[in-house]
Amino acid sequence: MTGFARRLAGKLLAGLVMVWVVVTFTFFLVHALPGKPGDVQYESYIMQGFNPEEARAKVTAVYGFTSHDPLFSQYLGYLGRLLHGDLGQSVYYSGVPVSHLIWSALPWTVLPVLTGLLVSFLIGVIAGVIAAVKRSSRWGGLLSVSGSLVAGVPSFVLALLLLLVFHTEWHLLPDAGTSDITLEPGWSPEYVGSVVQHAVLPVISYALLSYGGWLLAMKSSVITVLGDDFILASELRGLAPVTRARYIGRNAILPLFTVLALSFGIMFAGSFFIEQTFDYPGLGELLLKSIGVRDYPVMAGAFLLITVAIIAANIVADLCYTLIDPRVRR
Amino acid sequence: MTEVQVRDLTIEYQTSAGWLPAVAGASLDLRAGEITGLVGESGSGKSTLALALLNAVPEPGRVAAGSVEVAGVGDVLSLSGKQLRKVRGGELGYVFQASQNSMNPLKTIGKQLLDLGRSHEVKDLRALIARAKDLANRMGMDGDRVLDSYQHQLSGGMRQRIGIVFALVLNAKVLILDEPTTALDMLSQAAVLDIVRTVHDENQLSTLIITHDIGAISEIADRLAVMYGGRIVEDGPLLDVLRRPTHPYTRALIGATARITGDVDAARALPGRPPDLTTVARVGCVFRDRCPFAVTACADTEPPLVVGEAGRRRACHVEPSTVLSGTPGTPAAVGGQP
Repeated sequence: MTGFARRLAGKLLAGLVMVWVVVTFTFFLVHALPGKPGDVQYESYIMQGFNPEEARAKVTAVYGFTSHDPLFSQYLGYLGRLLHGDLGQSVYYSGVPVSHLIWSALPWTVLPVLTGLLVSFLIGVIAGVIAAVKRSSRWGGLLSVSGSLVAGVPSFVLALLLLLVFHTEWHLLPDAGTSDITLEPGWSPEYVGSVVQHAVLPVISYALLSYGGWLLAMKSSVITVLGDDFILASELRGLAPVTRARYIGRNAILPLFTVLALSFGIMFAGSFFIEQTFDYPGLGELLLKSIGVRDYPVMAGAFLLITVAIIAANIVADLCYTLIDPRVRR
Repeated sequence: MTEVQVRDLTIEYQTSAGWLPAVAGASLDLRAGEITGLVGESGSGKSTLALALLNAVPEPGRVAAGSVEVAGVGDVLSLSGKQLRKVRGGELGYVFQASQNSMNPLKTIGKQLLDLGRSHEVKDLRALIARAKDLANRMGMDGDRVLDSYQHQLSGGMRQRIGIVFALVLNAKVLILDEPTTALDMLSQAAVLDIVRTVHDENQLSTLIITHDIGAISEIADRLAVMYGGRIVEDGPLLDVLRRPTHPYTRALIGATARITGDVDAARALPGRPPDLTTVARVGCVFRDRCPFAVTACADTEPPLVVGEAGRRRACHVEPSTVLSGTPGTPAAVGGQP
């Protein structure tokens, strides 16, 4: 197992370097965005009827502490604080630590994304096996078409469609938020029930979005494995059908595991549209909002988290692969 | 004792031109203690014939006629489901080409051996493993190490030997090897053939070796059967056939083999190309287009496979003596009697 430990250490080191590169890149990129904190606030003051002088004074009063140091020394300071786990403070929500904002948004992204992903993986993989085995029958063809169809619908269209059907038309499910606001957060059955009820549509959206991909990937993987020599060999050796199904399944699902780990990271990043549509206060919405008001620390923090998530998912996928595929082991 | 009796076997494949025979009316006996070599060019139907022995003709093929009687089992072609599964591996051992990956890449050889044992409801798995190790040791491998290995950790020659272990570990009496030496270097070829001969003798098997390498097979086979265009055109005791080929195709095949000692230029390539499913002649002799001995009867009558002396059979309208002499005679002799 020392080989495994050495591998892990190597991957972690490479991951750290990667995180540093991305952190540096996003820091400068974020600051290169046109506009600065307070612009939005300034405009809203103008809209409210303040004259430009007054509006500027008000904005300076609120955002005055924004650093005016050269960008590079700001960067060094940011890196230094980052090493101590300090993501800085929000500019827009003056004084609120970025980590607090991110921690409170995180579960609303992780839980639905993870649930949706696992549900779609399970259903997609099983449907993919059926579509592969029955590929010459009508049902197999229909399954494949369902995969391509769902995979082709953009996420916002899908989410709006779900809203239209389940909220507007049938009044079955709520359209926004994470729970009924009249309920006290806690482990009471009412609150948990409400959270689940509010999470149904986002979870279904995440699941439907990736279902088609799993189905098609698994189908082609199974078809490839079915054509492998060792499957014919196992048939000619008289192996039991159950054993052969296990051989096929394990070999076919192998390439999908990497994709599963990766898509967790990717969905993390791609949750904007769905969180927007369902007004769900997750990471995607936090990021989008912070970009709108040029809240640099929050933006940088959110990007950092997404980066770490994707890199960590990569490492996990890599290590898992060595566990399940002996050919990659050494 | 005849272990396997193939009778009038016809296998067809579905093509855009309809159902076409890949093997037509083939009859062949595999006897206990004998190694039969089945040679022919690619596309001659030899692999299809071998798969049919296990009732495993691949899609889109079908057995159109004939039977494969295996001693103690009956007609394999009439079996299905669990009965067929038990015969495969249990009575008939099939060994894949060395270049093919016949093992599950994700499991050790030992675990796959256990899968095999459980599938065939072997009571004493410990004894099965012991027998497999013994077989592996006899073939010059370290049984313990090999059973703990994955396929990718084994060389081509070792994989081939493992394939033989899997084919024999359940005490199959019939061993079928598809191109066992293709993709192996000369030394591994010789080693594998040596091993086949040894396990064959030790277990009194009926062995069928399919190959296009008439040189390799002549080292170990007892009988030789030659296929062309889906037909068995000649067979008999190996040395007799090699010395006195009485079918023009066999003669050409032997003539086309280069020998290590001797002049390479002495090998003469057979002119023309082997037929495939769609180009093989529907009437008359399938070899007539490339045959220097062809007579008028060859064009419209397919020569039947006729039993001759000393356990030999041939399917040709031309007199054996004419073929043996090597000089095509006047197109007069018609009849096909050897």
